[in-house]
Amino acid sequence: MDNIAGSKSSLTWAVHLSVAFLVILWLFPTVGLFVSSFRTGDQIASSGWWKSMFPTEQNLVIRAGAPDTQVQQGALYVIEGDLFDGRSAGEVSVWGISSREIDAYKAGETVTLKDGSTLTVQPDGIFRMENTEEFTGSRGQRIFITATTPPEFTTDNYQNMLLDPSNREGMSKAFFSTLTVTIPSTIIPILIAAFAAYALAWMEFPGRAILIACVVGLLVVPLQLALIPLLKFHNAVGIGKGYMGVWFAHTGFGLPLAIYLLRNYMVGLPRDIIENAKVDGATDFQIFTRIILPLSFPALASFAIFQFLWTWNDLLVAMVFLVDSSGETTVMTKQIVELLGTRGGNWEILATAAFISMAVPIAVFFALQRYLVRGLLAGSVK
Amino acid sequence: MKHRLMASVASLALVAGAAGAADLKFAPGEGGFNWDSYEALKSVDLKGQQVTVFGPWLGPDQELVQSVLEYFREATGADVRYTGSDSFEQQIVVDVEGGSAPNIAIFPQPGLAADMAGRGQLTALPTETADWTRENYAAGQSWVDLGTYAGPGGEDGYYGFFYKVDVKSLVWYVPENLEDAGYEVPETMEELKALTDQIVADGETPWCIGLGSGAATGWPATDWVEDLMLRTQTPAVYDAWTTNELPFNDPKVVAAIDEFGWFARDNAKVAGGAGAVASTDFRDSPKGLFSSPPQCYFHRQASFIPSFFPEGTVVGEDADFFYFPAYAEKDLGKPVLGAGTVFGVTKDSPAAQELMKFLQSPIAHEVWMAQSGFLTPHKGVNTDLFGDPTLKKMNDILLNADTFRFDGSDLMPGGVGAGSFWTGMVDYAGGKDATEVASEIQNSWDSLK
Repeated sequence: MDNIAGSKSSLTWAVHLSVAFLVILWLFPTVGLFVSSFRTGDQIASSGWWKSMFPTEQNLVIRAGAPDTQVQQGALYVIEGDLFDGRSAGEVSVWGISSREIDAYKAGETVTLKDGSTLTVQPDGIFRMENTEEFTGSRGQRIFITATTPPEFTTDNYQNMLLDPSNREGMSKAFFSTLTVTIPSTIIPILIAAFAAYALAWMEFPGRAILIACVVGLLVVPLQLALIPLLKFHNAVGIGKGYMGVWFAHTGFGLPLAIYLLRNYMVGLPRDIIENAKVDGATDFQIFTRIILPLSFPALASFAIFQFLWTWNDLLVAMVFLVDSSGETTVMTKQIVELLGTRGGNWEILATAAFISMAVPIAVFFALQRYLVRGLLAGSVK
Repeated sequence: MKHRLMASVASLALVAGAAGAADLKFAPGEGGFNWDSYEALKSVDLKGQQVTVFGPWLGPDQELVQSVLEYFREATGADVRYTGSDSFEQQIVVDVEGGSAPNIAIFPQPGLAADMAGRGQLTALPTETADWTRENYAAGQSWVDLGTYAGPGGEDGYYGFFYKVDVKSLVWYVPENLEDAGYEVPETMEELKALTDQIVADGETPWCIGLGSGAATGWPATDWVEDLMLRTQTPAVYDAWTTNELPFNDPKVVAAIDEFGWFARDNAKVAGGAGAVASTDFRDSPKGLFSSPPQCYFHRQASFIPSFFPEGTVVGEDADFFYFPAYAEKDLGKPVLGAGTVFGVTKDSPAAQELMKFLQSPIAHEVWMAQSGFLTPHKGVNTDLFGDPTLKKMNDILLNADTFRFDGSDLMPGGVGAGSFWTGMVDYAGGKDATEVASEIQNSWDSLK
């Protein structure tokens, strides 16, 4: 017995380890995105997010104060300042003034420049330029420093996105209009699919099998195929582009999977209950509302999560059926794309936007996740 | 409660109204703008009419185009709406086919506009517009030719009006880095090549080249090849190439591709080595100019690239550009490669026609150029208005060009210019033979005929 118990425990240990490994692997990209959303665009471009959590030695180009910041001290014109101004303090080890020799001088050294002025850079980033003549020009002296800087994070990205006056209005409008799109687009297909699934699962009528086969067949039809004909149809019947159109489109595109999923679940419900109800004289509608619906709640909830996530993250269907050229309607995804600009490439905005738009789906998921688990398991445990 | 609600709605409306009036970027009557053309517009009354404009510009560009359209709204009372999309090319097709076309579409390249004109989805512009373009744009006839497409019946019509152009023949650099190393800005291609060799000999890397651009990876290389075609062959040969009268695998084209290879396929000449060229994103590529120590000295890219320079970079001081030079020994003048956006009418209305006319007035150009990122071939604008001296310098390159040629890949059929040419250049940067690549592109072109 001891042997069996021992081998069992070592196996659990391996299971735990591999589960932990998988979880870490799974979370890895998300963590990267999360860390990146607290970094500036230049930081993201220059180093990986995993480096951002430790003090690093960096080569930086910083401009000393421009000539218009000079002050006169006796016979000397002086420009003073802190190279780390506006960023977290670091420690300068070596520095230089030419791009060819960025490590020419040690911190604390005083160097004479071409124009006769002297420049000192202290290890803490304080610099001092002195000259007997007035400094001229419009830009400050470039100083190349090699410095160890502590990790540096910023909440600017979130502030720009949520609080910046030029975005705030658009973002909050987009948030509510996305809700206007997603909530009906989740409820309508579930309503229709629940009725259809009951009929396909428990009502005997000719051609039922073929109908089910057709629904399964529709699962493989790419929705892109229907975009232009459906938009033409919407224009012909007069609903055009708008919320009605996008609800119908999402309903249509979501129905095949919804029917298929719910039918398979309902077919698995115990036949005895339904037959008993029939013997007791219940109509199909009563069976559906009194027995099937309450029993299928986990399946309904898990499909609701899926459908909600799809419609929340959708850009294509919204662009085709909702967003018209008058610019009055918008959705979150569209708003985020707009923030990225014509040529894209703003990783900091992308990372931040991902987390902002993720907030609601995550809340929905955690609110409904116990049904999701039950929905996945319910069929297997009788 | 109800009263308070009404009052707050009323005050909101007031605020909105006030904001609308204050939205004009430059107060009419002030500065060196051609306000006459704005005043003249006031005689047109379009109150209550909506004009929808759909284009590829987003973010800051969207604000800029809206600031221009605001003047049209203010003067005529028309309700102008602009929306942008990052997948403009796909969406405009869906919208037009589906019957939800905007009034005016802004095409980032002429190929799609020509396609849609052929299917009868664009309304031809009046002949006066063509005449106007010929007279008032520098190299006017070539802009008219670029906007003239075969209509649904096969007859030629003037469908596309060019507004906002980009110059592509620019090399960006950091003046202080060149100064530190003691290099001079090259005036001719021979000097540029000699300087490239010298930088390599000094143990540094001369070029930053990045071709990555998501699904469009490879396009920066097509600009290189086009620029080098213009510098090794006559404009007539270039034109023949873009229409495939000159086959893609002609030795002249292969030679231009190999010229690009001289820069991009040598590990010593490109930052990160030749292997990094295809995988580096074009938006990240110029950042090498500004790193410490600099990863490279030169970056050849169009006039829009400063928006991807590190934050706080002042163009003209921290970074500058020079004209991608021509060979002194080949007598081809100073060719300039460019691109531009085409305005086309997708759903005709009197207000849409008025808006197209507004785009011809100097004020429509001046409002944008006084801000940023706008070049124009319009000869009647006050060039003192450019927002910064760099823009003016670029515009001078444009206006003084001996030869101006449009981005060739935009003129080729989509399957080539936005397909096999891109992928072919990625293959070439990866080490494939130039003749082989050119033959493959020619094959793909043949299969489209």
